[in-house]
Amino acid sequence: MSRIRRDPRAALLAVTVATRPRLRIDRAHRGDGLRADPAPSAIAETPPRRIAIADPAYLVFAVADVPGGTLTRHDRQVLGAARLLDGGNQAAVVLVAPHTDEDVGALGADRTLPGARNVSYDPEGVAAAIAAAIAHHRPRHVLFPESADGGDLARRVAALLDEPLFDSVENLSARVAIRPATARRLEWRAAPSRLMTIAPDMIAPYRGSPHDAAPLDAPVPNPESRCILNAERVAVDAADIPLDEAALVIAAGNGVTDFAGFLELALALGATPGASRVVCDAGHLPRRLQVGASGTVLNADCYVAFGISGAPQHLQGIGQVEHVIAVNTDLHAAMIARAELAIVADAQAIMPALLDALESRR
Amino acid sequence: MKAVVLLSAGRHPNSGAPMPVRAELQAIALGRRLGCIVGGLHAGAADKAIADCLGHGLATIAVLAIGPDDDPIPALAAEIAAIAPDLILAGRRGQGGADTGLLPYRLARACDLPIAADAVAIAREADDTLSVVQSLPRGARRRLSLRTPALVTVHQAAPPERPFVYRERLAGRIDEKPGLCVPAQAIGFENRPYRPRPRLIGDGAAGGSAEQRLRAATETKSVGGTLMIDPDPADAAAAILDYLTAFRARS
Ligand SMILES: Cc1cc2nc3c(=O)[nH]c(=O)nc-3n(C[C@H](O)[C@H](O)[C@H](O)COP(=O)(O)OP(=O)(O)OC[C@H]3O[C@@H](n4cnc5c(N)ncnc54)[C@H](O)[C@@H]3O)c2cc1C
Ligand SMILES: Nc1ncnc2c1ncn2[C@@H]1O[C@H](COP(=O)(O)O)[C@@H](O)[C@H]1O
Repeated sequence: MSRIRRDPRAALLAVTVATRPRLRIDRAHRGDGLRADPAPSAIAETPPRRIAIADPAYLVFAVADVPGGTLTRHDRQVLGAARLLDGGNQAAVVLVAPHTDEDVGALGADRTLPGARNVSYDPEGVAAAIAAAIAHHRPRHVLFPESADGGDLARRVAALLDEPLFDSVENLSARVAIRPATARRLEWRAAPSRLMTIAPDMIAPYRGSPHDAAPLDAPVPNPESRCILNAERVAVDAADIPLDEAALVIAAGNGVTDFAGFLELALALGATPGASRVVCDAGHLPRRLQVGASGTVLNADCYVAFGISGAPQHLQGIGQVEHVIAVNTDLHAAMIARAELAIVADAQAIMPALLDALESRR
Repeated sequence: MKAVVLLSAGRHPNSGAPMPVRAELQAIALGRRLGCIVGGLHAGAADKAIADCLGHGLATIAVLAIGPDDDPIPALAAEIAAIAPDLILAGRRGQGGADTGLLPYRLARACDLPIAADAVAIAREADDTLSVVQSLPRGARRRLSLRTPALVTVHQAAPPERPFVYRERLAGRIDEKPGLCVPAQAIGFENRPYRPRPRLIGDGAAGGSAEQRLRAATETKSVGGTLMIDPDPADAAAAILDYLTAFRARS
């Protein structure tokens, strides 16, 4: 009869998310209980403590693409996935990537292993370097993004090590990893294996306290490959890029009257043109340019809207876009509220001014 | 120039009926555009999915008979060594099996060949070099030079497959011969019906309460950015360009 008695008050406090304006309890809550307690100013003043894992039980490698020195969303999700496998801060997560100036500790990295990638495209050499690092450090798990270059690298490393690859993981916990198979009719569940790739937008990035990203000793050597003789980027016309793949989209709405000027501006900016439904309905621009619920959902980094009111059906198409610029005559348009840079002006005046500014900067 | 297209036993994503994998049919079309003599190669059983590839522009398919639990790599590597093709084409990922996309990489390693992924165009540069255009995300393209013999996987953005011609399907030939049987490395896993899982929207929201997630997905939140009311057009244009140059680097 000596069972430890449960403290009901402590249990309630642990799942209480807020007390004001009303009591809110969330039993799925994974944080440290009550956050909305008094004295928020005192919390805000103390700088977040960095978690240092001096003596890790094992290592988890997170291999990131880091194109142009910045971590992509997908890279951050891979770091978040790596933190799910750390056994409650027992393991150290090692970010294996080219050099970056970002605060990777805040994204969940305990160590960094830089220099694993060189400037020219040499996937074979990079794979050999990563395989050497794996042989040297013996990490328990190695995670890659299932992106074009990340997925290619993961398969090269798996072939080099002659190990199975559990690819496109869509759900991950310390005990089980899940991936689709047989054309998405079945899913495979298994204990997290050594080599895995993480599907995009399925696993959340790390949001906890920052870790202390110290460089790991012994950077990996960079062997040269022999297979790819030469590699170069091919210039593509932005107007030919499919709308859902484009990085920068500029779109015209009902507030635009000069569509020839609009297309000229898109060409000058190197942006892919888009449009609202009203414009496509009227036949000013082709239907395949329509952005929104019944058109294309964008994956762009940046979106520039000229004369678009921002109807919910249109905003659904830009839900993923981080950076939005709006030009509209109506201060109270929803698009103006959504935009990071909002300009209340006539689109017909701004578009030629932009063309002139582009000319003069060239 | 001799080319071999690796064929896998595809399945329809909804019905599970045998069906060729589109990327492999596109690979056949790419090989024929190059002016190669293109043959098919499959390790496993000759089922309808394989035979249907004949109708899309293949004259012959070699099928290496191995058991369902055997590793296709030893059989394929032995056959590749025997025919010594200049170019081996594969899909970037199968459809209906494990679908890991690992087979071409393991085969390239077993045959000691260079491999390039996600081709959308292939051209001959010189006698022993090929130029391969790769598809990258964001609609970008990269051109590589490769020394032949090489293995190249084909992306779905490549030119479309040749249409199915029933007469070609009847005229084509399947050569079945025994393959090298080596049992595959078993990986333990549990099979379940696939369950679609929600995708992350935006850069966060996950981990919050249900209410926070609902709000993040439905509300138009004001991001509190810069607002310029009736600016001089030149100032507005400069502000837009400054903003764009700050964020273009990220793609
Ligand atoms: C089932 C359904 C599906 C839909 N799907 C889509 C979809 O996929 N995509 C889509 O876009 N729409 C869709 N719509 C339509 C949507 O509801 C809106 O009607 C549409 O998006 C409005 O387009 P707009 O903003 O270009 O036009 P308007 O609503 O007419 O807005 C024009 C804006 O331009 C501004 N303006 C006017 N003159 C100027 C000027 N000189 N300079 C600058 N600004 C100016 C105005 O202030 C106004 O804000 C759908 C609707 C339904 C019912
Ligand atoms: N049994 C097989 N025989 C020949 N080629 C195959 C076989 N399985 C897969 N392939 C090739 O390898 C590619 C990737 O397959 P997978 O690794 O199963 O996703 C496929 O598109 C085919 O081109």
